[in-house]
Amino acid sequence: MSTATPADPSPDLRAEVRRATAALAATGHDHGRPVTSDLSIDEALLLHAVGWEPVDLVCGVSVVSVPSGVWNWGSGEIVAASQAQGLAFTGAANRIAEECGRAGGHGVVGVHVESTVQRHHVDVELVGTAVRPVGAAAKSDVFVSDLSGRDFSLLRQAGWIPVGLSYGASFVYAPRRSAGTSLRQTRENVELTNFTEAMYSARELAMERMQQTAITMGGKGIVEVKVTEGPMPFAHHAIGFAAWGTAVRLEAETHQYLRPKMVLPLDDAVVEFEAGSLRGQ
Amino acid sequence: MTDDALPEAAQRRLASGAFSSGLTIPDFSACLAMGLRPVGLVQGFCVMKWSWYGAGSPYLQASTPYSSGGGGYAESYRCPHGFVSGDHRSWGQNYEQTWVEAAWAQGFGSAYARLVDEAVATGAHGVIGVVDTARHLSDLAVTEFHILGTAVVVEEGSPPPDGRPWTTYLAGQRLAKLIEAGFMPVALAAAMSSVRVWAYCMTDYLMEGRNFTWGGAGAQEVDQVVRAHMAVRQLARAQVRGQLGGDALHGARLTTSHRELGEGDEVVECTLRGTRVRRFKDFDPVEPPMPTVRLS
Repeated sequence: MSTATPADPSPDLRAEVRRATAALAATGHDHGRPVTSDLSIDEALLLHAVGWEPVDLVCGVSVVSVPSGVWNWGSGEIVAASQAQGLAFTGAANRIAEECGRAGGHGVVGVHVESTVQRHHVDVELVGTAVRPVGAAAKSDVFVSDLSGRDFSLLRQAGWIPVGLSYGASFVYAPRRSAGTSLRQTRENVELTNFTEAMYSARELAMERMQQTAITMGGKGIVEVKVTEGPMPFAHHAIGFAAWGTAVRLEAETHQYLRPKMVLPLDDAVVEFEAGSLRGQ
Repeated sequence: MTDDALPEAAQRRLASGAFSSGLTIPDFSACLAMGLRPVGLVQGFCVMKWSWYGAGSPYLQASTPYSSGGGGYAESYRCPHGFVSGDHRSWGQNYEQTWVEAAWAQGFGSAYARLVDEAVATGAHGVIGVVDTARHLSDLAVTEFHILGTAVVVEEGSPPPDGRPWTTYLAGQRLAKLIEAGFMPVALAAAMSSVRVWAYCMTDYLMEGRNFTWGGAGAQEVDQVVRAHMAVRQLARAQVRGQLGGDALHGARLTTSHRELGEGDEVVECTLRGTRVRRFKDFDPVEPPMPTVRLS
């Protein structure tokens, strides 16, 4: 099979491939700890474009015990579970930051957050890539961020830096109605105000805790906030809320406006004329 | 299966004259543009049976706190309560199950070697777009490793120095960008680590939410389990670093699983895969990207 074409679209790339395969004859050079990274090549290139490089794949894990009996029926917040979730997240974040520091990174980007709540323990796992300014020496104060390599480079260009992963959680018991109220409401379309208030305050509490951790870290705000919520699979009357995101602060004197260019893609799907549109359909 | 020859069916398929490829059309097109000519879809398999690691197993090597498994990571925990009863878990241990890791490495390694053997038989220089799976067959104790990729020849390029083709999980534009960035794929790098948690009393109580009946207060980290989870991830990364020989690991994928065996006991396993890449030229940083807004 021949791949020769009259107008070769990428002659330089072909030469690069031949040069690269010829280089395999040379042995790898041992530069100490090898670089490992779960970033895509696009993310690695973008990091380099803003003067940063990947250093090592790093992890942090925490498993925190939840006392038995806390999921039984009650009212208000399930404080022990909220504390366990917060402690697990803090423990995992501290460990991933320690690994980053040992690897010589200045921070961790692209952190994947895996959090599971079980009846008697809460597990949090964080995995990301430690990064540093190209060739920079190790630093003791490192940041942890779930921003992708692309978002991190955009944030840097805009004059902001991540300061850490902020987190907040809240667990509440679903409020109960009295038998009389329940019976009365059988034939009504009515707002369950106690439900609304409980859910409202629980969400606010989780977000307030997240914001508080950001302030503690010296952040001015939080970006890319994710919120999860839902009943516990082992206790449907208990509802958990969690919110996390990357706390950021302004490093430049003022925000650097990126001035994006307008782009009109030429690959839009073909829009065919429909006669019905003349009749307003 | 003997190592000296490909299965007869594989030899017949590879000699048929038509090339086959697992590449998507965009990846296929990008590879042709790079001067990579597909010569065949190559694959390797290995079916492994996992033995029993419980009581009476020849693999059980850590039934007391004074043995340390099959070498590797191990740490012991002692009960702080003194003698309570004969059933009390007065000691616990985390230990690396090196025999499980060796079996995984054998399964993955054999499947990978067979994929490379097929690539050698096609005269390929490299294998791109590799996909690997490990799945249970028939029952929980039998696992099949399957590795599949597209063998390619570099037009006017050098054959691999030792005759063994280079391999990568990447294909198409992602591979082109990697090479443009100054990295050449060398080989797949993969490892699995396994740590058994043999819970002592405190771990048992905490994982069952019962520590609080012993005077414990508030949320508390389960130190033994946390250390096992951290260790299993560190072991997988250390094993892969050992395969890199000064090169880098690109596109790492770290996956973990754990099986709770009850009363705080569990097995934690971690798999790390990626492409070992070698720098062949100095890196030319690209210009900071231009932000755009689509008007569609």
